[in-house]
Amino acid sequence: MTYAIEAEGLVKRYGDASASRPALDGVDLRARTGTVLGVLGPNGAGKTTAVRVLATLTAPDAGRALVGGHDVTRQAGKVRELIGLTGQYASVDEKLTGTQNLLLMGRLLGLSRAAARARAAELLARFGLEEAAGRAASGYSGGMRRRLDLAVSLVSRPRILFLDEPTTGLDPHARGDLWDVVRELTADGVTVLLTTQYLEEADQLADDLLVIDRGRVAAAGTPDELKALAGGHRLDVRPLLATDLEKTEAVLGATAVEGRVSVPVHDLSEPPALLRRLDDAGVVLAEHALRLPSLDDVFLALTGGDR
Amino acid sequence: MTTALSQSLTLAWRSLIPLRNSPGQFAGMLLQPVFMIVIFVYLFGGSGGDRSGAVAYMLPGVLVQVALMSTITTGMNLATDIGNGVFDRFRTMPIARSAPLAGRVMADLLTLVITVAMSLLVGYAVGFRVTTSPFAALAGIGLVLFLSMALSWGSAWLGLVAKSVTSMQGLATAVLLPLTFGSSAFVPATDMPGWLTWWMGVNPVSHLAGSLRGLLGGGLRVSDVWITLGWTAALFALFAPLALRAYNRRVR
Repeated sequence: MTYAIEAEGLVKRYGDASASRPALDGVDLRARTGTVLGVLGPNGAGKTTAVRVLATLTAPDAGRALVGGHDVTRQAGKVRELIGLTGQYASVDEKLTGTQNLLLMGRLLGLSRAAARARAAELLARFGLEEAAGRAASGYSGGMRRRLDLAVSLVSRPRILFLDEPTTGLDPHARGDLWDVVRELTADGVTVLLTTQYLEEADQLADDLLVIDRGRVAAAGTPDELKALAGGHRLDVRPLLATDLEKTEAVLGATAVEGRVSVPVHDLSEPPALLRRLDDAGVVLAEHALRLPSLDDVFLALTGGDR
Repeated sequence: MTTALSQSLTLAWRSLIPLRNSPGQFAGMLLQPVFMIVIFVYLFGGSGGDRSGAVAYMLPGVLVQVALMSTITTGMNLATDIGNGVFDRFRTMPIARSAPLAGRVMADLLTLVITVAMSLLVGYAVGFRVTTSPFAALAGIGLVLFLSMALSWGSAWLGLVAKSVTSMQGLATAVLLPLTFGSSAFVPATDMPGWLTWWMGVNPVSHLAGSLRGLLGGGLRVSDVWITLGWTAALFALFAPLALRAYNRRVR
């Protein structure tokens, strides 16, 4: 197993060292080459700081990070040859047209005029920006601007891409488009580190997940592993008669919420037994369902449910 | 080294694109000297009847004013790039650390030269003539460019340390307005309150305008040139290290 991104014990403090808690307080993370590592966390958890450290924008106060096998502080130049970054806010030059933004990157990276033009045209087509190519980016919609931003990060054909909350503020359609792009990139072997506040996004895209909260890793694993952490399957039942609710609570040993009782089940032989006991107690059920916990359950459990 | 240069040139090209993309902005830049000359020569300077005398006095002042005010753009553009993340994007790229600043400085020098040339053209159209020698005229314009570049470093420093584009613009305007208008660029320092006469005597812009007037139209006081050069050197010595330090902190 090779890792495109490896970090150990990252600490980053902003401002006065003694005053506030660090933005990163000993974060370990690893992204397998050619996969998507999702970094989940509430606002202020340290996601953006982690990205800034890995993308050579901020030096860590302690710890070590290798990106593409190069140290982010001592070999920043090598790291910069491999990476692309799309931040929370589209960082395109608003006074330049879509084409000019892409040409600028191509020329800066040392492409010839013709090669830069060809690459710009290719990316404009890929991101559906051909019609807007000749207009200044200041007139673009939020979704178009984000697509241009991502296109600009891809001019260099990065092997490792950092996407910091790339879909924040996008409508569902634009979000879906961006997900497709991420899937195409990983199919080409690109490693993606994606931060997000959206659990669904992490569930859709990430091969591995890292939940960070207050600068520390709260949990790490595959989405399925993290869901298992929330207690495996749950059995939800709703009695037909509201008067049976108390009896249901007594049998299952849990409190009803909105006419429904939910209990964790640890193996799949439990639900039939539980249903039989309800039947024996004379409770008629309107419905019962066995479901997997969602990442929301995990997230709430791990981050203290303060959102 | 050659790659650093070509990257700087690419970034200078990028800084000049907006002038091509928005003809309105370019026209505004070109028309500014026209408006200034109309305002100062015909509105403020024209009441006495001696219009050619007003032109001879005002044009060097307008040229200095237009050149110095244009230095605001250096810091504003840096602050804009920092604010919207473009600067960070450059920092994640395998390019020379100096390229974004060098590109900016080159582009601003070019727009400065265009602005100065435009002011002279407009001046020529309204009857201004160089009565000294081309050599003296070039020396005068050189002085304007030097002091403007020194102030550009100050502008760059403000742009690099400011919290936002608007705060940078506000600060720079607050410094430049008293410098340019509180000088003998447009009116001689006579019949002024004592404190203003004092300030106009100290103000480097008075000496720059005086030097330019002498070098373009004769009657040069050499002390004006020395004082201007002294101020230029002092401002460079102050702002260039401040700006470079702030820049190095930003690019790390």
